[in-house]
Amino acid sequence: MEKILRIDMGADGGPKVKEEPLGEYAGLGGRGLTSAIVSKEVPPLCHPLGPENKFVIAPGLLSGTLAAMSGRISVGCKSPLTGGIKEANAGGQPAQVLARLGYAAIVLEGKPKGDDIYKIVINKDGVQVIADNSLKMLPNYDLIDRMKSEYGDNIACISIGPAGEMKMCAASVACTDMELRPTRHAGRGGVGAVMGSKGVKVIVLDDSGLPMRTPKDPDKFKEANKLFVQGLQQHAVTGQALPAYGTNVLTNIINEVGGYPTYNFKEGQFKGASKISGETEAELEKQRGGVPTHGCHRGCVIRCSGIYHDKDGKYLTKQPEYETVWAHGGNCGIDDMDAIARMDFLDDNYGLDTIEMGATIAVAMEAGLAKFGDAEAAIRLIEEVGKGTYLGRILGNGAEFTGRAFGLERIPVVKGQALPAYDPRAVHGIGVTYATSPMGADHTAGYAVAQNVLKVGGDVDPLKPEGQIELSRNLQIATAAIDSTGMCLFIAFAILDQPETFQALMDMLSAFSGEAMTADDFMDLGKKILTMERDFNKRAGFTSKHDRLPRFFKTEPLPPHNITFQVKDEDLDKVFNW
Amino acid sequence: MLRNEKDKSRKGLSLVISKRLISVFSPLLQHGFSVITTEGTNIKEFLCYHLGFSPEYLNERIQSILLNGKPVDNPDRATLEDGSTLALSASMPGLVGATLRRESILASFRSTITHKEKNKTKDGRPARVTLKLFNLVMKESGPHLLKQGIIVEKDELIGLLKNQPSSFWEGCKEIYLNGENIIPDELLEKIESEGEWIFLQVISPEES
Ligand code: SF4
Repeated sequence: MEKILRIDMGADGGPKVKEEPLGEYAGLGGRGLTSAIVSKEVPPLCHPLGPENKFVIAPGLLSGTLAAMSGRISVGCKSPLTGGIKEANAGGQPAQVLARLGYAAIVLEGKPKGDDIYKIVINKDGVQVIADNSLKMLPNYDLIDRMKSEYGDNIACISIGPAGEMKMCAASVACTDMELRPTRHAGRGGVGAVMGSKGVKVIVLDDSGLPMRTPKDPDKFKEANKLFVQGLQQHAVTGQALPAYGTNVLTNIINEVGGYPTYNFKEGQFKGASKISGETEAELEKQRGGVPTHGCHRGCVIRCSGIYHDKDGKYLTKQPEYETVWAHGGNCGIDDMDAIARMDFLDDNYGLDTIEMGATIAVAMEAGLAKFGDAEAAIRLIEEVGKGTYLGRILGNGAEFTGRAFGLERIPVVKGQALPAYDPRAVHGIGVTYATSPMGADHTAGYAVAQNVLKVGGDVDPLKPEGQIELSRNLQIATAAIDSTGMCLFIAFAILDQPETFQALMDMLSAFSGEAMTADDFMDLGKKILTMERDFNKRAGFTSKHDRLPRFFKTEPLPPHNITFQVKDEDLDKVFNW
Repeated sequence: MLRNEKDKSRKGLSLVISKRLISVFSPLLQHGFSVITTEGTNIKEFLCYHLGFSPEYLNERIQSILLNGKPVDNPDRATLEDGSTLALSASMPGLVGATLRRESILASFRSTITHKEKNKTKDGRPARVTLKLFNLVMKESGPHLLKQGIIVEKDELIGLLKNQPSSFWEGCKEIYLNGENIIPDELLEKIESEGEWIFLQVISPEES
């Protein structure tokens, strides 16, 4: 992983491929690398779909090694949805394969002059960029079937569906899973539209004949990995709850606490929650011969994913995750698990972010385009997006665009990006993160990390409200660092509670690079990334006014607790004081 | 197959089913069922002395306790009253999942909804509490509580039983309604004439 692959899609005479050493980007991976390249090379005021924007794909620092859980891949660019910097990441196989092919990043630059669409094929023999207009407007599942028939089973693909080709702001980038299905998505921020603007439909990766990446100190690395895996397996969340029920295990508890956004963020509890909970979903999967415990890439030991079958026992989609079940379920008043699973499939197939689409449909329902609870109508709306009808083009551009088109006041977005599945009026701390993250409202931009790391900014009393600014800062810093390693964020629970598991991760990073990594170095890396991202946003015209939740969170009390978001603006402005 | 005469003559519905079918009742456990206790009992007493959870299980496994939708940090100091709803969960993923844990380092994130105890005393009056069990707590404790018997909403129970496939009824070895041994075909009709709430006991011979 010592080189960067740059492809100028707008070069005279057709796309030009160039390889270069990492140079000043050495030591960075995943989000650290995508954000460094975007912040340094992309003019902040450029049009996100224009030739000056760059589309960067980077596996994590540990991807392609034997390290467990190291299969996350980051996708970065200037976002057409937020207008700021974006990093979205996904699981699946491509991170491991791309890293073994030796690339720390692929950078798509420029913009093709005609309207040809391209596939990029990368294997041990080199890189080919091939125009293939027969792929135009293929949905992801059909596209991957085509790639399989052309290039065999030992590939991993990164692709866009019709939504990306239509350059919609809710378009995602799909990554294939272990079964070679396009189910893992870098969803947020319209990254699929940027890949579409570069004219690239699919990147086919094949690491046949290539070895694993080897650490500088293999014995120390192996030992640290062993301890790391043990730590994950012995923890109640990573060893039991996530494997048994997946992330949707959160539905019941978030609903019970009154923080489950329902009917487009009007209420905090959904009556039908237990019908779409992770417990119910896992039971259904077992009954129908699906799989409730499954990894999204080789080397995952938590296995929070699964396979969802329809009533006839046939594959329908991967196990819909908590955010998806909420977005298409409770937020739209829908308590039919099969309908939600169908929407998950449609989103994956058209290449859409499930959170943005669910939030958009709820906004459309509030605008009167369908009734809350009408699952068939919700499915029809997604189909409009896939077909690219005029209505579909409005919906496919996300919740804010749709809300404006229909004159709505309650539009749950920050920096143009839809809020995920936790109402900040019930859990104020997450509102701090939603408001201030450079990415727009993002639930992953502030995760649970080691207690000692959380306290590096000074000891805070966790029971005092003032503590949340400090905590949000440290969580965002640590998350930015984890996002650079290629590690799935779900490792966070084990390293929150078990210092020895956190230490094992540090030891793995040190043994791999040959340079000692301490908790302080880790946090410095996170700070460096956030500083670059915020600097980009500042140059793109963002001010502290953009670090705010929509006004209705301060004025409309949320039942059942009937509270509003109470964190003061001046406190939000302190999050990045370090 | 019911263990004793008391089980057989009990008011309400008693089912003897094979162990693999017990999870069929998980929607009732998630949705909430009623338990009668004493006004002013604290959560720890209720769970350990009344329902039979071990103190270790309470400390180690039950990481999130929600009383009327509010996270409780100290179960010794939060008391129940008539109409309270208590939900129990193992530790959960996600930032918010971690925030909702007892005495979480992230507790400030939810300080405005954290349960704050008002000084209450035990006054001996009966209190009907709705108990909800989630995730691993449901899986591990549900069979035990179903064996002891729980009070459920009749409509919820009918809704659940109505949707069961024939394989469920084949695995249903004995059915007693108010002490009378009945066959599956009679059950739904007879249950309709019961009151709004019904006592439900589910026993698996493999477990007893
Ligand atoms: S824990 Fe879940 S999201 Fe993370 S790598 Fe495993 S299956 Fe993928």
